[in-house]
Amino acid sequence: MASKAGQVKKLSRRSFLKFVGGASLTGVTLSLAGCGEVATADSAAGGKGWMPAQYNAPGSWPTDVRGRVPIDPLNPSIVRDDQKCILCGQCLEVCEKVQSVFGNYELPIKNEFVCVNCGQCTQWCPSGAITERDETDKVFKALADPKVTVVVQTAPATRIGLGEEFGMPVGTNVQGKQVAALRKLGFDVIFDTNFTADLTIMEEGTELVKRVQGELKKPLPQLTSCCPGWVKFVEYFYPELIPNLSSAKSPMQMEGTLMKTYYAEMKKVDPQKIFSVAIMPCTAKKFECQRPEMVSAQKELKDKNVTPDVDVVLTTRELARMIKRAGIDFANLPDGQYDQLMGTGTGAGAIFGTTGGVMEAAARSAYYLVTGQQPPSALWDLTPVRGMQGVKDATINIPGIGNMKVAVISGLANARTVMDQIKAGNAPWDFIEVMACPGGCEYGGGQPRASAPPSDDVRNRRAASLYQIDANAKLRNSYDNPQIKEVYADFLTAPMSEKAEELLHTTYISRASEFTAKKSENM
Amino acid sequence: MSKGILVDIPKCIGCESCSVACKLWNELGWDPQEKNKTAEDRAKEPNKGLWPDEWTSINRYDVKKNGSPVGRYVKTQCLHCVDPACASACFSKALKKLPEGPVVYDQKLCVGCRYCMMACPFDILRYEWKKAIPGVSKCQMCPSRVTNNQETACTSVCPTGAITFGDRDQLLAEAKKRIKDNGYVDRVFGEKEAGGTSWLYISDVPFEQLRFRTDVTTKSLPSYTEGYMKLTPFVGGTWAAVLAGLYIYNNKNKEPLE
Repeated sequence: MASKAGQVKKLSRRSFLKFVGGASLTGVTLSLAGCGEVATADSAAGGKGWMPAQYNAPGSWPTDVRGRVPIDPLNPSIVRDDQKCILCGQCLEVCEKVQSVFGNYELPIKNEFVCVNCGQCTQWCPSGAITERDETDKVFKALADPKVTVVVQTAPATRIGLGEEFGMPVGTNVQGKQVAALRKLGFDVIFDTNFTADLTIMEEGTELVKRVQGELKKPLPQLTSCCPGWVKFVEYFYPELIPNLSSAKSPMQMEGTLMKTYYAEMKKVDPQKIFSVAIMPCTAKKFECQRPEMVSAQKELKDKNVTPDVDVVLTTRELARMIKRAGIDFANLPDGQYDQLMGTGTGAGAIFGTTGGVMEAAARSAYYLVTGQQPPSALWDLTPVRGMQGVKDATINIPGIGNMKVAVISGLANARTVMDQIKAGNAPWDFIEVMACPGGCEYGGGQPRASAPPSDDVRNRRAASLYQIDANAKLRNSYDNPQIKEVYADFLTAPMSEKAEELLHTTYISRASEFTAKKSENM
Repeated sequence: MSKGILVDIPKCIGCESCSVACKLWNELGWDPQEKNKTAEDRAKEPNKGLWPDEWTSINRYDVKKNGSPVGRYVKTQCLHCVDPACASACFSKALKKLPEGPVVYDQKLCVGCRYCMMACPFDILRYEWKKAIPGVSKCQMCPSRVTNNQETACTSVCPTGAITFGDRDQLLAEAKKRIKDNGYVDRVFGEKEAGGTSWLYISDVPFEQLRFRTDVTTKSLPSYTEGYMKLTPFVGGTWAAVLAGLYIYNNKNKEPLE
């Protein structure tokens, strides 16, 4: 092994191992002695990423918005995709400030994670991380089954929203194209929820008149019950006002019930084979159709194999997705026609889709129900209840009753203030319409997302389109609808008859024991 | 001053903002298989939902409180022991406890022996089996933020105050106050467990039901072996000297091989 200077060393296995062993020993010794590199805060794994600016403040600095809304994995209406979330906190803002849900329950949480399913968070989410629970596959499956009759209904507000998904201007009325697209997708029967909106007015209007005249021993003001988000809000936060809620079901649930009873009977279809789909501008409807009360057809027919009144609710966005998936050229579709029996609605039904619409429709009908005459011109264009203010009120003069004070509310934070007033006993109103979403269904949680955050500009344009439908309608009063007359004559006898009560009215439950509500500041 | 984080379990509403913040700040990937697991699914996983890319996991446990069912969300991640067994077990000094509180990991120093995983009493560390050059992964407690006077990513986004960042001593006092005020279980998990941890938990249902390891020792784990393990360099040095002496003694009268 001895070598002389200038002579090339021969590398043997032995010398190589000696070298490696020596180097390792030196390394371990140095490392143990603390001479090596030391792990520091900056050399540690992670910490090279990005956080929204508002969270990068030094510790304990107050930040305006923190985190996001909790979504239960079992939530029937909305789901979230963590990969898309950027923690901007917009969902929390709308949930807390506009809908007054988040932050209005005490911690520690008791049992349920409070959500009224309104879906406004899906409208505000800038990255599309929060969306409706997609149920299009269920519908595609039913459409592919030749034994099943798939019956569909479309809400008043979807026809003025759907076009936006296909690049049309805000508020474009695509009623005919929507029907044509549904036919192309393979739906067997297509009905219009405007029909049951008229029916709701007949039932709810009759109930109101009975309450005002003292025939029905239920408290005033009567509160509308067509918005499932609002109904759940009352069940959570104001269970003592449940008797004030109108017992009439929402138009969607009425239509679902009638599909499996009235339609099945008239057209001789097996109600077990009817698959009822609803196209709605709303995510809370997905929750509503799963409520245990909503199985009137099953109860009426005493048949356990009849599925719930509405099997699946699709939002406007999901319908657009179905149309795109099927490769239908929506913009160039010829106008289609609704199927009759439950496919005709009046102008009064159409304006259900915007805030104030139910009130206006109800006012027209209440006038007729009390006086037996067509209402005066002021009631055909009830401007005090139109527009995007959170709380609007008006006085309607009906001979025989006198002045009836009404209020229209949209946005649940606004509703909270008024409900506190009712609880305190200083509310002058007889009838109050409440829609959970600001602007009403036309900007519901299931409507197409605008490229900009939700604004009154978009809301006004969509509402204007609905009022245009009403203004152009030949029939603008619910009781003038010939199919409403038919359904009462052939099936339901009269508004609030025994059969109508059974099929078209519902009950509510208090959810107050599921959580601890925060004491209201106004009380 | 050593920092810590207090987790008030009943205050958690399960929004999982914290785990998203962790992903954003630490640039962790999304495993397509793990992504769709819910808090309930993860609670049932043997690994409590912690994977190489999931440094923290919110797990939902459905338990009974006073006879009625309640759901509780538990944030799971490295507890950052005051005297960490993993750092003590690491002979290459890849794991280190910083004076500010975080127990940090530096992959450049890691040799991949995974002794730390064996040493951890809470089974937190995960090995990146799927990578060509794997490392060990766990929550770092955002050392670059904490040493720059910022709070950790997760606590900065918590909307309900379920996780609070602060000095460990103050948080411990706060935890005891909350236990008294809210009628919680009289135990701060992390006060003494494994010799104390930087993360402290308080709860209104027994910790056993939330899959906490409650039978862990209250002594610091490195203290068990420190007494004799600190002799290692001395023993090593002595051995080297003895063997070298023997070699020289045996060869003193021999001719070189060549």
